[in-house]
Amino acid sequence: MSEPPKEPVKYVEANVRLPYHYVAGDYRARYLRALKDKKILGSKCSKTGKVFVPPLVASPESFAPADDLVEVADRGVMTTFCIVRIPVIGRNVELPYVAASVALDGADISIFALIQECKPEDVRMGMRVEAVWKPDGERQGDHEDILYFRPTGEPDAPPASFLNRL
Amino acid sequence: MAKLRNVAVVAFSQAPIVARDEHRIASEILYPEVRSALDQCDVERAAIDYQVAGSADYIDGRPFGFVAALDVMGSWPAKQDLHLEMDAAFAAYYAWVRMQAGDCDTALVCGYGKNSEGEPERVLNLELDPYYQAPLGLGPSATAALQASAYMARTGATDRDFAEVAARNRAAGAKNPCAQLREAVPAETLAATPWVVEPLRRGYLPPYGDSAVCLVLAAEGKAERMCDRPAWIHGVDQRIEMQTLGARDLSQSAGAKLAAEKAFAMAGLASARDADVIELCSTTPAEELILREATGVQAGDRSVLNPSGGPLCGHPLMMTGLIRLGEAFRQLSGRAGAHAVPNVRRAIAHAAQGHCLQQNLFFVLGGERRWT
Repeated sequence: MSEPPKEPVKYVEANVRLPYHYVAGDYRARYLRALKDKKILGSKCSKTGKVFVPPLVASPESFAPADDLVEVADRGVMTTFCIVRIPVIGRNVELPYVAASVALDGADISIFALIQECKPEDVRMGMRVEAVWKPDGERQGDHEDILYFRPTGEPDAPPASFLNRL
Repeated sequence: MAKLRNVAVVAFSQAPIVARDEHRIASEILYPEVRSALDQCDVERAAIDYQVAGSADYIDGRPFGFVAALDVMGSWPAKQDLHLEMDAAFAAYYAWVRMQAGDCDTALVCGYGKNSEGEPERVLNLELDPYYQAPLGLGPSATAALQASAYMARTGATDRDFAEVAARNRAAGAKNPCAQLREAVPAETLAATPWVVEPLRRGYLPPYGDSAVCLVLAAEGKAERMCDRPAWIHGVDQRIEMQTLGARDLSQSAGAKLAAEKAFAMAGLASARDADVIELCSTTPAEELILREATGVQAGDRSVLNPSGGPLCGHPLMMTGLIRLGEAFRQLSGRAGAHAVPNVRRAIAHAAQGHCLQQNLFFVLGGERRWT
Protein backbone atom coordinates (compact mmCIF):
# COMPACT_ATOMS: atom_id res chain seq x y z
CA MET A 1 0.00 0.00 0.00
CA SER A 2 2.88 2.38 0.71
CA GLU A 3 4.40 1.83 -2.76
CA PRO A 4 2.81 3.59 -5.72
CA PRO A 5 1.79 1.16 -8.47
CA LYS A 6 4.47 0.29 -11.04
CA GLU A 7 2.26 1.55 -13.83
CA PRO A 8 0.50 4.50 -12.28
CA VAL A 9 -2.78 5.83 -13.57
CA LYS A 10 -1.60 9.14 -14.86
CA TYR A 11 -4.77 10.69 -16.15
CA VAL A 12 -8.47 10.56 -15.54
CA GLU A 13 -10.62 11.23 -18.56
CA ALA A 14 -13.41 13.66 -17.81
CA ASN A 15 -15.47 14.42 -20.86
CA VAL A 16 -18.02 16.99 -19.82
CA ARG A 17 -21.06 17.31 -22.03
CA LEU A 18 -23.46 20.12 -21.19
CA PRO A 19 -26.03 20.91 -23.85
CA TYR A 20 -27.78 24.30 -23.87
CA HIS A 21 -30.76 25.55 -25.81
CA TYR A 22 -30.68 29.32 -25.71
CA VAL A 23 -33.85 31.13 -26.64
CA ALA A 24 -33.17 34.00 -28.98
CA GLY A 25 -35.55 36.20 -27.01
CA ASP A 26 -38.08 38.51 -28.62
CA TYR A 27 -35.60 41.34 -29.14
CA ARG A 28 -33.00 39.20 -30.87
CA ALA A 29 -35.66 37.33 -32.83
CA ARG A 30 -36.92 40.54 -34.40
CA TYR A 31 -33.41 41.84 -35.00
CA LEU A 32 -32.25 38.60 -36.63
CA ARG A 33 -35.41 38.18 -38.68
CA ALA A 34 -35.00 41.71 -40.04
CA LEU A 35 -31.49 40.88 -41.29
CA LYS A 36 -33.15 38.49 -43.73
CA ASP A 37 -34.82 41.54 -45.29
CA LYS A 38 -31.53 43.51 -45.27
CA LYS A 39 -32.79 45.65 -42.41
CA ILE A 40 -30.87 46.51 -39.24
CA LEU A 41 -32.97 47.23 -36.15
CA GLY A 42 -32.04 49.11 -33.02
CA SER A 43 -33.92 49.97 -29.86
CA LYS A 44 -34.57 53.51 -28.75
CA CYS A 45 -34.06 54.67 -25.16
CA SER A 46 -37.35 56.04 -23.82
CA LYS A 47 -35.46 58.69 -21.84
CA THR A 48 -32.60 59.92 -24.00
CA GLY A 49 -33.69 58.82 -27.48
CA LYS A 50 -30.37 57.09 -28.05
CA VAL A 51 -30.54 54.11 -30.40
CA PHE A 52 -28.78 50.84 -29.54
CA VAL A 53 -27.75 48.33 -32.19
CA PRO A 54 -28.25 45.41 -31.74
CA PRO A 55 -31.31 46.26 -29.66
CA LEU A 56 -31.11 46.23 -25.85
CA VAL A 57 -34.14 46.06 -23.54
CA ALA A 58 -32.81 48.93 -21.47
CA SER A 59 -30.24 51.64 -21.78
CA PRO A 60 -27.20 50.64 -19.70
CA GLU A 61 -26.39 54.34 -19.56
CA SER A 62 -29.72 55.91 -18.52
CA PHE A 63 -31.27 52.70 -17.11
CA ALA A 64 -34.58 53.54 -18.82
CA PRO A 65 -36.45 50.97 -20.95
CA ALA A 66 -35.67 50.89 -24.66
CA ASP A 67 -38.71 49.14 -26.04
CA ASP A 68 -39.22 51.01 -29.30
CA LEU A 69 -37.56 49.24 -32.25
CA VAL A 70 -36.36 51.47 -35.09
CA GLU A 71 -34.55 50.80 -38.35
CA VAL A 72 -31.07 52.20 -38.86
CA ALA A 73 -28.98 52.44 -42.04
CA ASP A 74 -26.75 49.62 -43.28
CA ARG A 75 -23.93 52.12 -43.67
CA GLY A 76 -22.06 54.33 -41.32
CA VAL A 77 -18.72 55.56 -40.14
CA MET A 78 -15.77 53.49 -39.02
CA THR A 79 -14.68 54.62 -35.59
CA THR A 80 -11.93 52.64 -33.91
CA PHE A 81 -10.26 49.67 -35.64
CA CYS A 82 -7.40 47.21 -35.38
CA ILE A 83 -5.42 45.09 -37.82
CA VAL A 84 -5.44 41.43 -36.86
CA ARG A 85 -2.41 39.31 -37.82
CA ILE A 86 -3.10 36.20 -35.74
CA PRO A 87 -5.63 33.44 -36.49
CA VAL A 88 -9.07 33.90 -35.03
CA ILE A 89 -10.87 31.08 -33.25
CA GLY A 90 -13.89 29.90 -35.17
CA ARG A 91 -13.50 32.11 -38.23
CA ASN A 92 -11.80 31.47 -41.52
CA VAL A 93 -10.58 34.92 -42.54
CA GLU A 94 -7.54 35.78 -44.60
CA LEU A 95 -4.81 37.53 -42.61
CA PRO A 96 -4.25 40.31 -41.97
CA TYR A 97 -7.73 41.66 -41.69
CA VAL A 98 -9.31 44.76 -40.24
CA ALA A 99 -11.75 44.49 -37.33
CA ALA A 100 -13.56 47.71 -36.67
CA SER A 101 -16.27 49.47 -34.75
CA VAL A 102 -18.88 50.84 -37.12
CA ALA A 103 -21.34 53.48 -35.97
CA LEU A 104 -24.30 53.00 -38.30
CA ASP A 105 -26.18 56.10 -39.40
CA GLY A 106 -29.02 56.50 -36.91
CA ALA A 107 -27.33 54.47 -34.15
CA ASP A 108 -25.71 55.83 -30.99
CA ILE A 109 -23.47 52.88 -30.27
CA SER A 110 -21.24 51.04 -32.69
CA ILE A 111 -21.22 47.42 -33.81
CA PHE A 112 -18.20 45.23 -34.49
CA ALA A 113 -17.53 44.40 -38.12
CA LEU A 114 -14.95 43.11 -40.57
CA ILE A 115 -13.70 45.62 -43.14
CA GLN A 116 -12.78 44.19 -46.52
CA GLU A 117 -12.30 45.26 -50.15
CA CYS A 118 -9.54 47.62 -49.06
CA LYS A 119 -5.92 47.35 -47.93
CA PRO A 120 -5.34 47.44 -44.17
CA GLU A 121 -2.95 50.38 -44.60
CA ASP A 122 -5.70 52.45 -46.23
CA VAL A 123 -8.12 52.03 -43.34
CA ARG A 124 -8.60 55.09 -41.14
CA MET A 125 -10.95 56.41 -38.49
CA GLY A 126 -13.81 58.35 -40.01
CA MET A 127 -13.92 56.25 -43.17
CA ARG A 128 -17.45 55.72 -44.51
CA VAL A 129 -18.40 52.04 -44.91
CA GLU A 130 -21.42 50.01 -46.01
CA ALA A 131 -22.65 46.49 -45.37
CA VAL A 132 -22.13 43.80 -48.00
CA TRP A 133 -25.05 41.40 -47.67
CA LYS A 134 -25.40 37.80 -48.67
CA PRO A 135 -27.45 37.56 -51.89
CA ASP A 136 -31.26 37.36 -51.75
CA GLY A 137 -32.46 33.88 -50.92
CA GLU A 138 -29.28 33.00 -49.01
CA ARG A 139 -29.84 35.09 -45.90
CA GLN A 140 -30.81 32.98 -42.91
CA GLY A 141 -31.58 35.59 -40.29
CA ASP A 142 -28.25 35.41 -38.51
CA HIS A 143 -25.13 37.53 -38.14
CA GLU A 144 -23.54 35.89 -41.19
CA ASP A 145 -26.14 37.65 -43.35
CA ILE A 146 -23.79 40.63 -43.35
CA LEU A 147 -20.60 39.29 -44.90
CA TYR A 148 -18.50 42.35 -44.07
CA PHE A 149 -18.36 46.12 -44.53
CA ARG A 150 -16.50 47.91 -47.31
CA PRO A 151 -15.57 51.54 -48.03
CA THR A 152 -18.26 53.57 -49.82
CA GLY A 153 -15.85 56.11 -51.30
CA GLU A 154 -17.74 58.98 -49.66
CA PRO A 155 -15.69 61.73 -47.99
CA ASP A 156 -14.53 60.85 -44.46
CA ALA A 157 -16.73 61.91 -41.56
CA PRO A 158 -15.25 64.63 -39.34
CA PRO A 159 -14.06 63.32 -35.93
CA ALA A 160 -16.59 65.39 -34.02
CA SER A 161 -19.38 63.40 -35.69
CA PHE A 162 -18.31 60.04 -34.28
CA LEU A 163 -15.98 60.51 -31.32
CA ASN A 164 -18.90 60.16 -28.90
CA ARG A 165 -20.03 56.95 -30.62
CA LEU A 166 -16.89 54.88 -30.26
CA MET B 1 -23.57 39.99 21.38
CA ALA B 2 -21.77 43.10 20.22
CA LYS B 3 -23.87 45.90 18.89
CA LEU B 4 -24.07 45.73 15.13
CA ARG B 5 -25.42 48.05 12.49
CA ASN B 6 -29.14 47.73 11.87
CA VAL B 7 -29.70 46.71 8.26
CA ALA B 8 -33.08 45.96 6.72
CA VAL B 9 -34.59 44.44 3.63
CA VAL B 10 -36.50 47.34 2.08
CA ALA B 11 -37.67 45.92 -1.24
CA PHE B 12 -38.07 42.64 -3.06
CA SER B 13 -39.19 41.88 -6.56
CA GLN B 14 -39.50 38.47 -8.18
CA ALA B 15 -40.48 37.33 -11.64
CA PRO B 16 -43.11 34.59 -11.21
CA ILE B 17 -41.36 31.24 -11.64
CA VAL B 18 -42.14 29.53 -14.95
CA ALA B 19 -40.96 26.27 -16.45
CA ARG B 20 -39.45 28.05 -19.44
CA ASP B 21 -39.44 31.69 -20.49
CA GLU B 22 -39.45 31.51 -24.29
CA HIS B 23 -39.33 35.26 -24.82
CA ARG B 24 -36.51 36.61 -22.71
CA ILE B 25 -32.90 35.88 -21.91
CA ALA B 26 -31.82 35.88 -18.25
CA SER B 27 -30.82 39.55 -18.11
CA GLU B 28 -34.09 40.57 -19.77
CA ILE B 29 -36.06 38.74 -17.08
CA LEU B 30 -34.00 40.53 -14.44
CA TYR B 31 -34.31 44.11 -15.73
CA PRO B 32 -37.99 44.70 -14.80
CA GLU B 33 -37.38 43.23 -11.34
CA VAL B 34 -34.51 45.65 -10.67
CA ARG B 35 -36.69 48.53 -11.87
CA SER B 36 -39.56 47.36 -9.70
CA ALA B 37 -37.37 46.99 -6.60
CA LEU B 38 -36.01 50.53 -7.05
CA ASP B 39 -39.53 51.84 -7.67
CA GLN B 40 -40.71 50.20 -4.43
CA CYS B 41 -38.10 52.29 -2.59
CA ASP B 42 -38.91 55.36 -4.69
CA VAL B 43 -35.23 55.76 -5.57
CA GLU B 44 -33.12 55.65 -8.69
CA ARG B 45 -29.96 53.58 -9.09
CA ALA B 46 -27.83 56.51 -7.88
CA ALA B 47 -29.17 55.75 -4.38
CA ILE B 48 -27.51 52.31 -4.44
CA ASP B 49 -23.96 52.17 -3.05
CA TYR B 50 -23.13 48.55 -3.70
CA GLN B 51 -24.36 45.72 -5.86
CA VAL B 52 -23.96 41.99 -5.56
CA ALA B 53 -25.35 39.06 -7.52
CA GLY B 54 -25.57 35.30 -7.32
CA SER B 55 -25.58 33.15 -10.46
CA ALA B 56 -23.69 30.21 -11.97
CA ASP B 57 -21.72 30.25 -15.21
CA TYR B 58 -22.63 26.62 -15.85
CA ILE B 59 -26.29 27.51 -15.70
CA ASP B 60 -25.73 30.52 -17.95
CA GLY B 61 -23.72 28.24 -20.24
CA ARG B 62 -20.91 30.71 -20.63
CA PRO B 63 -17.82 31.72 -18.67
CA PHE B 64 -18.01 34.99 -16.76
CA GLY B 65 -21.75 34.89 -17.32
CA PHE B 66 -22.37 37.39 -14.55
CA VAL B 67 -21.19 40.31 -16.67
CA ALA B 68 -24.32 39.91 -18.82
CA ALA B 69 -26.43 41.11 -15.90
CA LEU B 70 -24.44 44.27 -15.19
CA ASP B 71 -26.19 46.27 -17.92
CA VAL B 72 -29.56 45.65 -16.29
CA MET B 73 -28.38 46.16 -12.70
CA GLY B 74 -27.81 49.87 -13.16
CA SER B 75 -24.00 49.61 -13.17
CA TRP B 76 -23.42 53.17 -14.32
CA PRO B 77 -21.74 55.39 -13.24
CA ALA B 78 -19.26 52.59 -12.45
CA LYS B 79 -20.32 50.70 -9.32
CA GLN B 80 -18.73 48.69 -6.55
CA ASP B 81 -19.76 45.15 -7.32
CA LEU B 82 -19.35 41.57 -6.16
CA HIS B 83 -20.47 38.36 -7.79
CA LEU B 84 -20.87 34.97 -6.14
CA GLU B 85 -21.18 31.58 -7.80
CA MET B 86 -23.79 30.92 -5.12
CA ASP B 87 -27.46 31.31 -4.43
CA ALA B 88 -28.12 35.04 -4.24
CA ALA B 89 -29.09 34.68 -0.56
CA PHE B 90 -25.39 34.25 0.16
CA ALA B 91 -24.80 37.44 -1.83
CA ALA B 92 -27.26 39.18 0.50
CA TYR B 93 -25.22 37.89 3.43
CA TYR B 94 -21.99 39.32 2.01
CA ALA B 95 -23.71 42.64 1.34
CA TRP B 96 -24.81 42.67 4.99
CA VAL B 97 -21.22 41.96 6.09
CA ARG B 98 -19.97 44.73 3.85
CA MET B 99 -22.54 47.12 5.27
CA GLN B 100 -21.31 46.35 8.77
CA ALA B 101 -18.01 47.97 7.77
CA GLY B 102 -19.98 51.17 7.45
CA ASP B 103 -18.74 52.35 4.07
CA CYS B 104 -21.93 51.60 2.19
CA ASP B 105 -25.52 52.14 3.26
CA THR B 106 -27.51 50.52 0.47
CA ALA B 107 -27.08 47.39 -1.62
CA LEU B 108 -28.83 45.79 -4.56
CA VAL B 109 -28.88 41.98 -4.46
CA CYS B 110 -29.78 40.12 -7.65
CA GLY B 111 -30.23 36.47 -8.52
CA TYR B 112 -30.84 35.14 -12.01
CA GLY B 113 -30.22 32.28 -14.39
CA LYS B 114 -32.32 30.33 -16.87
CA ASN B 115 -32.42 26.77 -15.69
CA SER B 116 -34.51 25.84 -18.72
CA GLU B 117 -31.68 26.52 -21.16
CA GLY B 118 -29.31 23.93 -19.75
CA GLU B 119 -29.61 20.67 -17.87
CA PRO B 120 -29.39 21.42 -14.14
CA GLU B 121 -29.03 17.78 -13.12
CA ARG B 122 -25.91 17.51 -15.29
CA VAL B 123 -24.56 20.83 -14.07
CA LEU B 124 -25.04 19.95 -10.41
CA ASN B 125 -23.43 16.56 -10.95
CA LEU B 126 -20.25 18.52 -11.70
CA GLU B 127 -20.44 20.12 -8.27
CA LEU B 128 -19.34 16.77 -6.87
CA ASP B 129 -15.74 15.60 -6.59
CA PRO B 130 -14.56 14.90 -10.18
CA TYR B 131 -12.57 11.74 -9.37
CA TYR B 132 -14.73 9.63 -7.12
CA GLN B 133 -18.27 10.98 -7.16
CA ALA B 134 -19.16 12.90 -10.33
CA PRO B 135 -18.21 10.01 -12.70
CA LEU B 136 -20.85 7.88 -10.99
CA GLY B 137 -23.42 10.18 -12.56
CA LEU B 138 -25.12 11.18 -9.34
CA GLY B 139 -27.30 14.23 -9.72
CA PRO B 140 -28.92 16.27 -6.98
CA SER B 141 -32.06 14.11 -7.03
CA ALA B 142 -29.93 11.03 -6.38
CA THR B 143 -27.88 12.60 -3.59
CA ALA B 144 -31.07 14.00 -2.05
CA ALA B 145 -32.48 10.47 -2.16
CA LEU B 146 -29.39 9.14 -0.38
CA GLN B 147 -30.03 11.73 2.28
CA ALA B 148 -33.74 10.89 2.46
CA SER B 149 -32.92 7.20 2.91
CA ALA B 150 -30.45 7.96 5.69
CA TYR B 151 -33.03 10.14 7.41
CA MET B 152 -35.71 7.44 7.15
CA ALA B 153 -33.34 4.82 8.54
CA ARG B 154 -32.41 6.94 11.53
CA THR B 155 -35.85 8.34 12.42
CA GLY B 156 -38.34 5.85 11.06
CA ALA B 157 -39.93 8.51 8.83
CA THR B 158 -42.12 6.99 6.12
CA ASP B 159 -43.14 7.63 2.55
CA ARG B 160 -46.43 8.90 3.96
CA ASP B 161 -44.57 11.49 6.10
CA PHE B 162 -42.87 12.80 2.96
CA ALA B 163 -46.22 12.96 1.17
CA GLU B 164 -47.74 15.00 4.01
CA VAL B 165 -44.88 17.49 3.96
CA ALA B 166 -45.09 17.87 0.19
CA ALA B 167 -48.89 18.26 0.30
CA ARG B 168 -48.70 21.00 2.95
CA ASN B 169 -46.23 22.94 0.81
CA ARG B 170 -48.28 22.44 -2.35
CA ALA B 171 -51.43 23.70 -0.61
CA ALA B 172 -49.57 26.85 0.49
CA GLY B 173 -48.06 27.39 -2.95
CA ALA B 174 -51.53 27.49 -4.49
CA LYS B 175 -51.94 30.94 -2.91
CA ASN B 176 -48.58 32.32 -4.05
CA PRO B 177 -48.74 34.10 -7.42
CA CYS B 178 -44.96 33.70 -7.86
CA ALA B 179 -44.96 29.92 -7.35
CA GLN B 180 -44.50 27.65 -10.34
CA LEU B 181 -46.72 24.85 -9.03
CA ARG B 182 -49.97 26.49 -8.00
CA GLU B 183 -52.24 23.55 -7.43
CA ALA B 184 -52.97 22.00 -4.05
CA VAL B 185 -52.44 18.24 -4.30
CA PRO B 186 -53.53 15.79 -1.57
CA ALA B 187 -50.89 13.65 0.13
CA GLU B 188 -52.41 10.44 -1.20
CA THR B 189 -52.07 11.69 -4.78
CA LEU B 190 -48.45 12.71 -4.25
CA ALA B 191 -47.74 9.34 -2.61
CA ALA B 192 -48.98 7.67 -5.80
CA THR B 193 -46.62 9.54 -8.13
CA PRO B 194 -43.79 7.47 -9.63
CA TRP B 195 -40.36 7.17 -8.07
CA VAL B 196 -37.71 9.49 -9.47
CA VAL B 197 -34.95 8.15 -7.28
CA GLU B 198 -36.37 5.94 -4.58
CA PRO B 199 -37.34 6.96 -1.87
CA LEU B 200 -38.15 10.27 -3.61
CA ARG B 201 -41.19 10.43 -5.85
CA ARG B 202 -42.00 12.88 -8.63
CA GLY B 203 -44.39 14.59 -6.22
CA TYR B 204 -41.60 15.15 -3.69
CA LEU B 205 -39.21 16.96 -6.02
CA PRO B 206 -39.72 20.42 -7.49
CA PRO B 207 -39.23 21.21 -11.15
CA TYR B 208 -36.42 23.62 -11.99
CA GLY B 209 -37.82 26.93 -13.17
CA ASP B 210 -36.87 30.28 -14.68
CA SER B 211 -37.11 33.46 -12.65
CA ALA B 212 -35.09 36.52 -11.62
CA VAL B 213 -35.09 38.33 -8.30
CA CYS B 214 -33.91 41.63 -6.90
CA LEU B 215 -33.76 42.56 -3.23
CA VAL B 216 -32.65 45.86 -1.71
CA LEU B 217 -30.83 46.18 1.63
CA ALA B 218 -30.49 49.49 3.45
CA ALA B 219 -28.93 50.54 6.73
CA GLU B 220 -30.67 52.40 9.53
CA GLY B 221 -31.13 56.05 8.61
CA LYS B 222 -31.90 55.23 4.98
CA ALA B 223 -34.03 52.12 5.35
CA GLU B 224 -36.89 54.05 6.98
CA ARG B 225 -37.00 56.47 4.05
CA MET B 226 -36.97 53.67 1.48
CA CYS B 227 -39.68 51.48 3.00
CA ASP B 228 -42.68 52.05 5.26
CA ARG B 229 -42.12 48.72 7.02
CA PRO B 230 -38.51 47.57 6.72
CA ALA B 231 -37.69 44.00 7.70
CA TRP B 232 -34.71 44.41 10.03
CA ILE B 233 -32.00 41.77 10.13
CA HIS B 234 -31.67 40.60 13.71
CA GLY B 235 -29.30 37.74 13.22
CA VAL B 236 -27.45 35.90 10.46
CA ASP B 237 -24.99 33.03 10.20
CA GLN B 238 -23.55 30.90 7.42
CA ARG B 239 -21.85 27.50 7.67
CA ILE B 240 -20.38 25.12 5.12
CA GLU B 241 -19.62 21.42 5.48
CA MET B 242 -17.21 19.05 3.74
CA GLN B 243 -17.64 18.14 0.09
CA THR B 244 -17.07 14.42 0.58
CA LEU B 245 -20.58 13.11 1.10
CA GLY B 246 -19.39 9.91 2.79
CA ALA B 247 -17.64 11.91 5.49
CA ARG B 248 -20.87 13.52 6.65
CA ASP B 249 -23.83 12.11 8.52
CA LEU B 250 -26.36 12.73 5.78
CA SER B 251 -29.30 11.90 8.03
CA GLN B 252 -28.93 15.27 9.69
CA SER B 253 -27.47 18.68 9.00
CA ALA B 254 -24.77 19.74 11.44
CA GLY B 255 -24.16 22.89 9.42
CA ALA B 256 -27.80 23.96 9.48
CA LYS B 257 -27.96 23.31 13.22
CA LEU B 258 -24.91 25.43 13.97
CA ALA B 259 -25.88 28.24 11.60
CA ALA B 260 -29.37 28.35 13.11
CA GLU B 261 -28.03 28.42 16.69
CA LYS B 262 -25.62 31.24 15.87
CA ALA B 263 -28.20 33.28 13.98
CA PHE B 264 -30.80 32.83 16.71
CA ALA B 265 -28.25 33.84 19.38
CA MET B 266 -27.36 37.00 17.44
CA ALA B 267 -31.06 37.77 17.14
CA GLY B 268 -31.78 37.08 20.81
CA LEU B 269 -34.25 34.43 19.70
CA ALA B 270 -34.72 31.68 22.29
CA SER B 271 -35.93 29.17 19.71
CA ALA B 272 -37.40 28.89 16.24
CA ARG B 273 -40.82 28.70 17.89
CA ASP B 274 -40.52 32.43 18.63
CA ALA B 275 -40.69 33.18 14.93
CA ASP B 276 -44.10 33.66 13.35
CA VAL B 277 -42.94 32.58 9.91
CA ILE B 278 -40.14 30.24 8.84
CA GLU B 279 -39.12 29.91 5.22
CA LEU B 280 -36.88 26.87 4.73
CA CYS B 281 -34.95 26.22 1.54
CA SER B 282 -35.95 22.56 1.45
CA THR B 283 -36.10 21.04 -2.00
CA THR B 284 -37.37 17.67 -0.77
CA PRO B 285 -39.64 16.66 2.13
CA ALA B 286 -36.65 14.93 3.74
CA GLU B 287 -34.68 18.18 3.66
CA GLU B 288 -37.56 19.95 5.37
CA LEU B 289 -37.70 17.34 8.12
CA ILE B 290 -33.91 17.48 8.59
CA LEU B 291 -34.01 21.28 8.73
CA ARG B 292 -36.90 21.23 11.16
CA GLU B 293 -34.87 18.98 13.41
CA ALA B 294 -31.79 21.21 13.03
CA THR B 295 -33.72 24.36 13.92
CA GLY B 296 -35.90 22.81 16.60
CA VAL B 297 -39.20 23.26 14.81
CA GLN B 298 -41.74 20.65 15.77
CA ALA B 299 -45.05 19.61 14.32
CA GLY B 300 -47.83 21.63 15.91
CA ASP B 301 -45.63 24.66 16.64
CA ARG B 302 -47.26 28.05 16.14
CA SER B 303 -44.70 29.11 13.54
CA VAL B 304 -46.04 28.93 9.99
CA LEU B 305 -43.66 26.95 7.83
CA ASN B 306 -43.14 27.95 4.19
CA PRO B 307 -46.37 29.93 3.67
CA SER B 308 -45.07 30.64 0.15
CA GLY B 309 -45.15 26.96 -0.70
CA GLY B 310 -41.37 26.80 -0.41
CA PRO B 311 -38.94 25.41 -2.96
CA LEU B 312 -41.21 22.39 -3.55
CA CYS B 313 -43.47 24.78 -5.49
CA GLY B 314 -40.69 26.42 -7.47
CA HIS B 315 -36.95 25.95 -7.59
CA PRO B 316 -35.11 28.50 -9.72
CA LEU B 317 -31.52 27.54 -8.91
CA MET B 318 -29.33 30.39 -7.62
CA MET B 319 -32.46 32.26 -6.44
CA THR B 320 -34.39 29.72 -4.38
CA GLY B 321 -32.63 30.85 -1.19
CA LEU B 322 -32.95 34.58 -1.82
CA ILE B 323 -36.67 34.07 -2.45
CA ARG B 324 -36.92 32.74 1.13
CA LEU B 325 -35.44 36.02 2.40
CA GLY B 326 -37.75 37.96 0.09
CA GLU B 327 -40.72 35.99 1.41
CA ALA B 328 -39.73 36.82 5.00
CA PHE B 329 -39.68 40.49 3.97
CA ARG B 330 -43.07 40.18 2.29
CA GLN B 331 -44.56 38.68 5.43
CA LEU B 332 -43.04 41.26 7.79
CA SER B 333 -43.82 44.26 5.61
CA GLY B 334 -47.41 43.40 4.80
CA ARG B 335 -46.69 42.61 1.15
CA ALA B 336 -47.46 38.89 1.06
CA GLY B 337 -50.96 39.26 -0.37
CA ALA B 338 -53.00 36.07 -0.54
CA HIS B 339 -50.43 33.99 1.34
CA ALA B 340 -49.94 36.55 4.13
CA VAL B 341 -49.69 35.24 7.69
CA PRO B 342 -51.41 37.61 10.14
CA ASN B 343 -49.42 39.64 12.69
CA VAL B 344 -45.93 38.59 11.72
CA ARG B 345 -43.35 40.16 14.03
CA ARG B 346 -40.41 37.86 13.50
CA ALA B 347 -39.41 35.62 10.63
CA ILE B 348 -36.65 33.14 9.84
CA ALA B 349 -35.30 32.74 6.31
CA HIS B 350 -33.00 29.87 5.38
CA ALA B 351 -30.95 29.29 2.25
CA ALA B 352 -28.97 26.24 1.19
CA GLN B 353 -26.56 25.35 -1.54
CA GLY B 354 -24.76 22.21 -2.58
CA HIS B 355 -25.61 18.55 -2.37
CA CYS B 356 -27.41 17.31 0.74
CA LEU B 357 -27.57 20.72 2.44
CA GLN B 358 -23.82 21.23 2.29
CA GLN B 359 -24.07 24.99 2.88
CA ASN B 360 -26.59 26.68 5.11
CA LEU B 361 -27.45 30.28 5.83
CA PHE B 362 -29.99 31.60 8.30
CA PHE B 363 -31.43 35.07 8.62
CA VAL B 364 -33.65 36.16 11.50
CA LEU B 365 -35.71 39.23 10.71
CA GLY B 366 -38.05 41.42 12.71
CA GLY B 367 -40.36 44.38 12.37
CA GLU B 368 -38.35 46.39 14.92
CA ARG B 369 -34.68 47.34 14.98
CA ARG B 370 -32.44 44.83 16.74
CA TRP B 371 -29.85 47.20 18.21
CA THR B 372 -30.52 50.58 19.81
